[in-house]
Amino acid sequence: MKETDEWEWEIDPGRPWFRWELGSIVRYRDLLFRLVRRDLLANYKQTVLGAFWILLQPIMTTLVYWLIFSNIVKVPIGDVPPLLFYLSGIICWNFFSDCLNGSMYTFLTNAAIFNKVYFPRLIVPFSSMLAHSIRLSVQLVLLFLVYFLFYIGGKVSAPGVSWLLLPPILLLTGLFGLGAGLIISVLTAKYRDLDYTLQFVLRIWMFASPVFYPAGLVKGSWKWVFWLNPLAPLIELFRSACFGIGEISFPYLIICIVTILSTLILGIALFKRHELKLTDII
Amino acid sequence: MSSTIIKAEGLSKYYRLGAQGSGRFREDWSNWWKGKSIGGDEAHIWALKDVSFEIKEGEVVGFIGRNGAGKSTLLKIISRITQPTKGSVKGRGRIASLLEVGTGFHGDLTGRENIFLNGHILGMTRAEILSQFDAIVEFSGVETFLDTPVKRYSSGMYVRLAFAVAAHLTPEILIVDEVLAVGDAEFQQKCLRKMKEVSRAAGRTVLFVSHNMQALRNLCQRAFFLEKGELVASGDPGLLIAQYLQKESVQYLKQIFKDRDTAPGNDAVRIKRVELLPEFPAGGSVIDIRTALRVELEFWYEPPADTDLIVGIHLFSVAGDCIFDIASPRTTLKRGLARGGCLIPANFLNDGDYYISIVFVNNTTSRLFYFEGCLSFQVADYRENTSWYGKWIGHVRPDFRVSLEHENQGIDG
Repeated sequence: MKETDEWEWEIDPGRPWFRWELGSIVRYRDLLFRLVRRDLLANYKQTVLGAFWILLQPIMTTLVYWLIFSNIVKVPIGDVPPLLFYLSGIICWNFFSDCLNGSMYTFLTNAAIFNKVYFPRLIVPFSSMLAHSIRLSVQLVLLFLVYFLFYIGGKVSAPGVSWLLLPPILLLTGLFGLGAGLIISVLTAKYRDLDYTLQFVLRIWMFASPVFYPAGLVKGSWKWVFWLNPLAPLIELFRSACFGIGEISFPYLIICIVTILSTLILGIALFKRHELKLTDII
Repeated sequence: MSSTIIKAEGLSKYYRLGAQGSGRFREDWSNWWKGKSIGGDEAHIWALKDVSFEIKEGEVVGFIGRNGAGKSTLLKIISRITQPTKGSVKGRGRIASLLEVGTGFHGDLTGRENIFLNGHILGMTRAEILSQFDAIVEFSGVETFLDTPVKRYSSGMYVRLAFAVAAHLTPEILIVDEVLAVGDAEFQQKCLRKMKEVSRAAGRTVLFVSHNMQALRNLCQRAFFLEKGELVASGDPGLLIAQYLQKESVQYLKQIFKDRDTAPGNDAVRIKRVELLPEFPAGGSVIDIRTALRVELEFWYEPPADTDLIVGIHLFSVAGDCIFDIASPRTTLKRGLARGGCLIPANFLNDGDYYISIVFVNNTTSRLFYFEGCLSFQVADYRENTSWYGKWIGHVRPDFRVSLEHENQGIDG
């Protein structure tokens, strides 16, 4: 046999910003799906309520919000049935925060595996997002069920073509959580003390997003800051597509999409650039 | 002559000791704010220094060296777990690295689920696992527990299942680090056979690190000897192993303390010297099963009033099993320097790693001092006129005669 100079792979110290190796994720797709399965199985096997927990959490939160914001504090939300209003906000916010939380500790929680075996590291946050998408779709079924009940009761109109906007809206929401989570995952690997700060920021962030109040309530000259949060136009657009309420400003939507895509690109680039270096410090 | 499958050139890896930065955002931030530079004169270490080699397709290569010599770092770089600081590795074909068995096993999932999960993590596709599934289950011998969560497995079952998955991998290059240190002897034997089969029959390239010298000698066609991050020699495994053992054993064969105040011990007993003196047969320089070993001991003794002393010598296998516990007679010693010792005869210990602890007992009941793990040594294998090359089981291999003959001599000649 002859000596060959055609190598199939090369390992070197270099790490350019844009060598993403997304093709390897396709090659490892079986692992991707297996991790999604593990995520879902392992999470619900050991709990008493099992998979029902996926639905219980948004239902309980909705009821609590309904109790507090509709009956005690009385936040005006317009003509939409309060249960639908809160449930839709909660589902959107949960999906974002799940995708964020599912990826921001990637290096810390997987340090043991990452130190022992190679596979494309991006598989882990991707699989987490996929698992949360499955949870999301179960919750969406719940939302539609509740919507259907209100429709029979004559409280809401029949679903229109605008519902077709829901998948891209949710996709953007999830990708934003993923992108931000990837950036943060590099930081949490380096700085362990970020954890508390992050959870605190996340809580404030929820209050700054129109989860349990309509964006129309936000007034004044600082209104534009509120709209710079990509979740604000997304949640509003979700409700608008679903129930035909709320106002969407087109420029803010463009800013929102650009922000999300740049967050995602920055996230992946940062993650890929640091994935191997971080193995040495965690 | 087959072609080169892995080529490493000038491979170096630099580690900073201690954390990079402080590991805390607040401190790094305030340091940066105050204009303080972080690092600069931190301690650092070259875990690998300018290592170059080529490995041919189908070769089985063993890596020998002390802990910290850079073996694991090297395998980690080839496995794409960590990056080299300088140099590069090029190669062809899929790599599966087995730096630890059961990587990615999830306790809550069943054995069946974990076979798939672990297989995928190691780079197998679903179709590949399905085609090997029965073989994996059979090899591991856990079929009755396939649908039990692995957290209820015994550690032996866990390891067997994990190795079974790994042994049925189908990559071109297999990297194995020290996994044979687990499991019982019989299973280790099975794993070695499997690895041999994998390399011989399937023509796969295997890179192998182990402290099991017998396994290295049996499996490898070539060995690399690493020392302090440098590749110091490569070639015939038998030769390199002998070299390594000789170098290695010097280190732990004696401990001498000149200063009584800092020597290990207490008010009653202070150690001056413990030493293991091999009595090599003519021409020998490596401790093997034919070597008698003299344990010698000197200590400063300050007897508590009206007491006698027993000195016990405990020999342990590296896994921590006590092989013997022998003791001196009760002796009343005066204060001052005392000495003791024993002789471990030739053709008594089996090959393996051992350590010795010495105990000082007062009035047969109270323990004055326990000098734990004060000596350690490795006994190499030596065989003549036998066709059995596997690990000889048991901790001792005494030279007793086992007789075998016809019962009724002379009846049929």
